[in-house]
Formats: sequence, C-alpha cells, structure tokens
Amino acid sequence: MATTLTARRSSAAGLAAFYALVLIVFSVLSPRFRTEQNFQNLLIGFSHIGILAIGMSFPIILAGIDLSVGSIIGVVGMTVFDLSLITHAPGIVAIIAALVVGAALGGLNGLLIVRLRISPFIVTLAAMATWRGTTYAISGRQLHRDLSVAPITDKLLLWIDGSFGPIPRAFVYMVLLGLAAYWLLARTKLGRDIYSVGGNERAAYLAGINVARVKITAYAISGFCAGVAALILTSRLSTSPEDLGTGFELSAIAAAVVGGVSLLGGVGGTLGPIIGAFLIGTVYIGMQLENVTTYAQQVVAGVILIGAVGFDRYRQVRKRQEMVRRRALRRPAADGMRPSAEGLRPASGLTS
Amino acid sequence: MTATDDSPATGFDRRRFLGVSATIGAAALVSPLLGACTSKSKTAAKPAAASGGTAKSHYKMVWIQIQPQATSTAWGQGLQEIAAQQKNIDFQLLDGQNSAATQINLMNTAIAGGVDVIFLQPADSVGLAPSIKKAKAAGIPVITLNIDATETHAAHVEMNHYYGAQDIAAKMGAAIGGSGDVVIINAPPGITIRDLRTNGFVDGMKAKYPNVKIAADQNANWDRKTAGDVFSAMWAANPNIKGVYGVNDDMALGVVDVAKAKGILSKLTIFGNDGEKAALTSIEAGELTGTQYTDVWQQGRFAASAGIVLASGGVSAKDVPDQGHLLMPYSILTKDNVATIPASARW
Repeated sequence: MATTLTARRSSAAGLAAFYALVLIVFSVLSPRFRTEQNFQNLLIGFSHIGILAIGMSFPIILAGIDLSVGSIIGVVGMTVFDLSLITHAPGIVAIIAALVVGAALGGLNGLLIVRLRISPFIVTLAAMATWRGTTYAISGRQLHRDLSVAPITDKLLLWIDGSFGPIPRAFVYMVLLGLAAYWLLARTKLGRDIYSVGGNERAAYLAGINVARVKITAYAISGFCAGVAALILTSRLSTSPEDLGTGFELSAIAAAVVGGVSLLGGVGGTLGPIIGAFLIGTVYIGMQLENVTTYAQQVVAGVILIGAVGFDRYRQVRKRQEMVRRRALRRPAADGMRPSAEGLRPASGLTS
Repeated sequence: MTATDDSPATGFDRRRFLGVSATIGAAALVSPLLGACTSKSKTAAKPAAASGGTAKSHYKMVWIQIQPQATSTAWGQGLQEIAAQQKNIDFQLLDGQNSAATQINLMNTAIAGGVDVIFLQPADSVGLAPSIKKAKAAGIPVITLNIDATETHAAHVEMNHYYGAQDIAAKMGAAIGGSGDVVIINAPPGITIRDLRTNGFVDGMKAKYPNVKIAADQNANWDRKTAGDVFSAMWAANPNIKGVYGVNDDMALGVVDVAKAKGILSKLTIFGNDGEKAALTSIEAGELTGTQYTDVWQQGRFAASAGIVLASGGVSAKDVPDQGHLLMPYSILTKDNVATIPASARW
C-alpha cells in the first residue's frame, strides 16, 4: 500500500510540475491570462469536470468505465428543473433529490454489471442512451410549452453556483469531494478493496473481499459526482437543457487518464484527475486568449489526450518489464509457485 | 476611406455601413415576395463622450456559434468579411460544440480577454442569459443572431421567424387543398426560435386554414438524419400526413430523404426554413416544396456593422438601455420563384 501511495504521489507530482509549466507559459504569453478574473473563469469552467473526473476515477481504478455520467447529469438536471418549476418544490428538496437520483443511477450501473456480469462499457453505454432518452421524455420544457424558456428562480438553487468572495463555489465543492475521495481511497478498507479489485479481481475475491459491494459503491460514487455536477450546471444556466452534460463523460475520462488513472485498473489517485481537468481547461482557455482557432484547439486537446494515454501505456509496459526482470533475478524458483491468477496481471496496483 | 484614417472616435466606415443598410432596405422595397419586414431599432446608445468610454485603435470581436452548420458558417463568413474590411479588428470564431455550458466558458474567457463585441448564437435562450448579464456588466455589447436570449442585450438580428412561419403555413395550407393532417419536425426546446416558428406556423394555419390539423410536433434536434427517423415513425403512425414543416432546412431535407426512399414524395408537401443552398437545389429538383429564405451572409454583415458602430463609438453595453431588434427581410421560395435568388446570394 505504501508503495502504491508513493507511486501515485510521484506521478501526481510530475503532472503538477508539468501543469505549473503550462501555467507559466500562458502567463508569459498573455497578460490577460494572468488575471484574477481568468483564474476564476478557469475554476468556474472546469471544476465540474474535475468533480466528474474524481467520480470517474473510481470505476476506472476498478478496470471499468462509466460512459453514463453525461446522461445522468441530463436526468438529474431535468429532475431539478421539473421539481422546481412544475411541482414548485423548495430548493432543498430538489438538491436532495438530485444527489439521491445521481447516486442511485450510478449504483444501478454497478448492480447490473455485478448481477448480469455484463461489461461496464456495455452497461454504461446502454445507460447513456436510456437516461438521455429519459431526459427528453421527462423534460418539463417540452411537456409544458409555457416552461420552454422559463428560468429557475429558486434562490437556493441559484445560490449553488455563486462564489465565496473570489472563490467560485463549484471549486469549493470539488475540493471537498476531492478530500473525501482521497480519504476514502487512502485511509479506508473500502479504498484498499477498490485497488485490490481493480488490480486483480480474482485474487481480491479469493482474499474474501466483497467484490460486488465494492463495484456497486464505486459506480454509485461516480453517479453521485454526476449529481453534484448537474446541480452546479443547472444553477449556472438557470435551466436544464435536454442535452445538458452530453459528451462530458469523455472530458471526465480524459481528465482521469491525463491525471494518471490507468485504464487497466488498480492505479490512480484523486489529485491527478483534478489536475488533469484543469490542465485540459487551461490549454483551451490559454489558446482562446492567444487567438488560436477553435478547431485547432480541439486538435491540440486530442493530442494531449493521446500523449497522456500513450505515456500511461508506456509506463505500464516498462513496469511489467521491470517486474519480470526483478523476479527473474531475485526469486527464480519461487516465481513458478505463484498462483496463476497473479501471473495474468503482473502490474497489480498493490505492487506498482 | 478606411477606418484607420477616420477619426478615432468614429473609426468606422459609414459609407460601407450605409451601403449594407441600403442593400437590405432596397431589397425590402423592391421584392414583391418579401413578407412583413419591420425594423424597429429602439436602441438609443450614448456616444463615447457621453458614456465616458474610450475609442481604441484596435478591436477584438468574437463569434460564438452553436456548432458548425450551414447557417452558422454563413453568418461567420458575413461577420468576418466586414470585420476584415476594417483592417483593425481581430475576429475570432469560437465553436460552442453544441453545448450551453461550453458557450458559457467561451463567453467567460472572451469577457476576461477584453473583447469589444460578442456575436452570439445561443445554444439555449435561458441558459446563456446569466453570461450575457455578465458581459453587459463588463460593458461588452452582445449581438445575437437568429436565437434571442431571455436577458436583454445590445441587439438581436433575426430572419423574422414568426411571420415567416405564418407565410409557410399559408403556402402549405393552399398546397394541400385546405384540409388534412400536417406535422412539425421541431428544434429542441429552450430556444426562442422554436417557439416563434411553431407559434407562427400554428397561428398562421388556424387563421387561414382552420381545417388543417397539426397531427404531431416532435423534436429532431436540428439534425437531418434524426429528422428522417422521426418522420418515419410519424408516417408509420399516421399515413394520412399531407404536409411536413421542418423548422430548419436540414430537418426538412431529412424528411425528403425518407420520403424518396419510401416512394411517397409526390404525396407530401414539405417546407423547410432558412434557405440554405442545399434546400434551394432541392426545390429546383422538385423535391422540397419550399422554404423561408434570408440572405444569411447579409445578416452576418449587418450584425458586424452594428457591432463595429458600437465598438468604434466606444459605446458601453451599460449605455444601451433597450435591445435593438432587427428583422431581416425574407421571401418564401418555391419552385416558381427560387430562380430569383442569384448564385451570389446562395449561401
């Protein structure tokens, strides 16, 4: 475990250093970049992606994926809209409903993955389509024509996306969720179990870990984070468009992967995905301020993703080679005695 | 005369601006096909001296579109054409990637980047309202194209959706013999254009052809393929449909695709909206029945001119008390008159 944390910290430290470099470059290039307002914009614009990335890292550490978070944002946002403008429920009811619906839909993904033994990709892909369709079906903006361009006016709901002095509230929520996720992953049995299952599911099962419970919890956390993001966005827009959150799953996956969460499972932390989200955001904003054309910005963002995943893959391969080499040198006889399941996944998170 | 050799406080080519205005005004006068064209600019902006604003030698303007589409692209070209002529304007195209949240980020960065004017096609009329408010607070005039926002701003330039849709209803009602079922392939909710075009069509039909029944109204998300799928389902449920109104050309052309494949094109009267080149070609081929046409390049040029007037005059958005509202002239095109649109005005 200690090795894992050290490895994660060094990986996050490397990324943080790279991010600092990017910040310096843009600050030197553009006087408009190094303004308080611009940094506020960065925090406002990408904290919800950071929140989604924190949530997304749980399924990915389990060697899974959650493609449904964008659509969960849609359903949760529309739930808030309908509760507030059709049933005139108080803001607090809408907030609680949002968090419960988010976590429940995430948990349902986990349940289907565990019970039906379908791959997370397929389950969450189906959920992505189902919940987006549901969003349109329950849209108060479509069902009630007079609500088509009616804004949410509940004070508490609109308060969610404001700021505490110069600090945007969305950023505060992200920091709190980040701390909670860090504590959960680094200090609790559930966290250790998540790494174990992600590193080697069969070995974890044989070690007596309740794999099903771990998986359902991880997907519920991802859904919960989508619920929080939906609240922020609904507050920001003062409405909930039917396509709210479309494509955000890819931004969250990109941020998590750039942040060092391995798609092979078992490896990843909390700080990395947060930095990943802001790194992508900084590059977009920096390029906009530098008058880079919009489509070139998207190309550069794509290149960064490929670079990060490529580097992650390269690191994995290097680690495996290193491990095989060490085993061969140190314990040539004992190696043959290891359980076959261990041999299937030499790059287990507990030892990497 | 160029902007740079003009006086700094009025660094704007008046002749060019008046030229654009005159073109539109002349079009409104000479074309017998033009429907109700009203231009009621209530904006009474204070000049730089009165508002305390300062005119600059160089300006930054951004065009935030929803996504790359025929209409958005043509607006961008019209805007850029006029901006380029001024020789002292940095013009930047920004793509909203079909997301209100992304557009808000782009707005925020544009405001922080100190732009002088924002041209906006809001992905959501309500969702972008808080951002427009923020831009106004920073003194930046926002000019919207076709899709209005629920927050008032400097100006809105649209192709007159309500009256256009009324005229389409009248043409369609006549074409189907004054009775029968028609359907609407609609835009997503949350944007003013959907309500204006739908209400115009419904009101127009009710007024002129009360026996025509609007049997279905479904969202196809502006998309050609989705529109085809939506229409297929409508046709399966009700094979008595005689008319289809796609609230943009792409969606109407999606219905044409499906109608051709099913061999039912001759039974249908299909109208689109906007007047893009592909729609005009389809009308000439005898497929699409008609569309509401506006010269979208001209619309972009006009918006650019208005933006340049505000920026070069040093007018702060805070000093624009009422939103200017400019309705572009339009014509309802069918096979009979599509040839009147010259190649130079086919966007």
